[in-house]
Amino acid sequence: MDVKPDFERIRKTARFEEPDRVPMAEILIDYSIQSQFLGRTVTPDDLEAQVQFWSQAGYDFIPLTVGMMQPGKVTKESKISKVIREVMLADSADADKEEAWNLELTSFIKTRQNFEKFPWDVAAELEFGSFHKVNDLLPPGMQVIAISGKIFTLTWMLMGFNHFAEALIMDEQLVADVFKQVAEIQFKGLEEIFEMPRIAAVWVVDDLAFGTGPMISPQAFRDHVFPWYREMARRCHEKDRLFLMHSDGDLNALMDDIIDIGVDVIQPIDPTCMDIVRFKEMYGDRICMVGNVANELLRSGTPADVEARVKELLVKVAPGGGYCMGSGNSVPDWAQYENYMAMRNTTLTYGTYPIHID
Amino acid sequence: MTDILETIKETVVGGKFREIEDQVQQAIDDGINLNRIINDALISAMDVVGKRFANGDIYVPEMLVSARTMKLGLELIKPRLGSAEAEKRGTILMGTVKGDLHDIGKNLVTMMLEGAGFKVVDLGVDLKIEDLIDTLKREKADILGLSALLTTTMPEMQKVIEALQSEGLRDQVKVLVGGAPIDQKFAEQIGADGYGEDAAEAVQLARKLVATK
Repeated sequence: MDVKPDFERIRKTARFEEPDRVPMAEILIDYSIQSQFLGRTVTPDDLEAQVQFWSQAGYDFIPLTVGMMQPGKVTKESKISKVIREVMLADSADADKEEAWNLELTSFIKTRQNFEKFPWDVAAELEFGSFHKVNDLLPPGMQVIAISGKIFTLTWMLMGFNHFAEALIMDEQLVADVFKQVAEIQFKGLEEIFEMPRIAAVWVVDDLAFGTGPMISPQAFRDHVFPWYREMARRCHEKDRLFLMHSDGDLNALMDDIIDIGVDVIQPIDPTCMDIVRFKEMYGDRICMVGNVANELLRSGTPADVEARVKELLVKVAPGGGYCMGSGNSVPDWAQYENYMAMRNTTLTYGTYPIHID
Repeated sequence: MTDILETIKETVVGGKFREIEDQVQQAIDDGINLNRIINDALISAMDVVGKRFANGDIYVPEMLVSARTMKLGLELIKPRLGSAEAEKRGTILMGTVKGDLHDIGKNLVTMMLEGAGFKVVDLGVDLKIEDLIDTLKREKADILGLSALLTTTMPEMQKVIEALQSEGLRDQVKVLVGGAPIDQKFAEQIGADGYGEDAAEAVQLARKLVATK
């Protein structure tokens, strides 16, 4: 098994060429999985161990989060949660109650006044410590992918989904202004990391769709969200970085727009509602794909089930490049370790180009 | 249908929230039966909205603004309805099961059920079974709607049904389940009374379940 990191693998794949083997890619692999792989505890602060995991497991990059959602999702430690708890709720007795700060349970911007009072300046103070520190830890060939974006998700989370959805029609300017503030902070983070040499790509993680289709109309995405991503893609390409996007859900109604704005790689082709073989037929010569090994399979299947699915993807989707193996979302703590290893080992064993599996 | 009822229906379907109050006021002033305004214009419009949403012709924002428009019209009528005139359509408890914080789907179904005239008590997310049982006893609800987005939390639905059985409440309430990982087979496996694939289907099912209760 060749696990030597080489980011050129992913670059070639994104250019629809066949590198030495099918690359693997994830936006997130839970620390519990990383710990089992290394045989020692990996913590969020232990960057050295994380680099060791991603490189030894066969990945050509390590994903590091930059932006208001650091370290990647809404938790008590997230940048945005800290802003809410330490600034907005500083004088509140409820600051420690999850329902008071967790953006999955509450929201803060319902009016123009709320918008103007929100501590945007504090939210814009981003951390880059791990990006500086990682430079000395990366083995040759391995690069960093900066996980950013969440322009759409963070906007609706700050406003509350129902309120956001209504305001999109009833108070469109307020929505546009929240989008602008969120996007400008996320862009500020990117400007800084673009100056760092080992950042090879930006991966925006922003769920745009339900299993039934887009969360808002394609036109509303064109009016309010896609212009920011078009600009992000332009800046990435100007700096010779790849631009990747993650979104759950059925993206068919948005794919022409996503390709048009300059997304190089799309993940995970949500296996709960999209057929990756059909997706490759429709878009496979215009956008590189990542993922599609269902998380449910990683949770409740057997290693043999996972191996069969990975082989199927290698045969049906990987030939010609334009595909990286990965999960149907991310690898959470509830994925079975043996199943994760089956996905990884099958890719490394059978994913050498040209693909030949009996 | 009279012109003004047709106009009100189009206004709700189109989500023209600024126009609805004048139109409903006009219908009231014209002496049109209040239940006809509700049934033939407002609720009828939301049926159209639900179908358009289910077909993918409109999206969540358009559906929510139609519901908001409908509610603005309904608020003008409610104070004028005598209790005998107000038709009882049923009470529904809605909630996302324990361990699951996702509420977008649950809120859409809640909104559509309200639009169809049901009284809906929203129990929120991360539902504690004991709170649910207490509310169920207090509200004497006809239907319990349970939502889950995660495959890891969907087994909670079965726990709720088991709790209803052990509390002796199972025969008093119909259980309706929904959410991304749920399907008809799962609903049958856990002994639910129905599964709605989307918000519009949930409304149809709720009507059917209340009618047969």
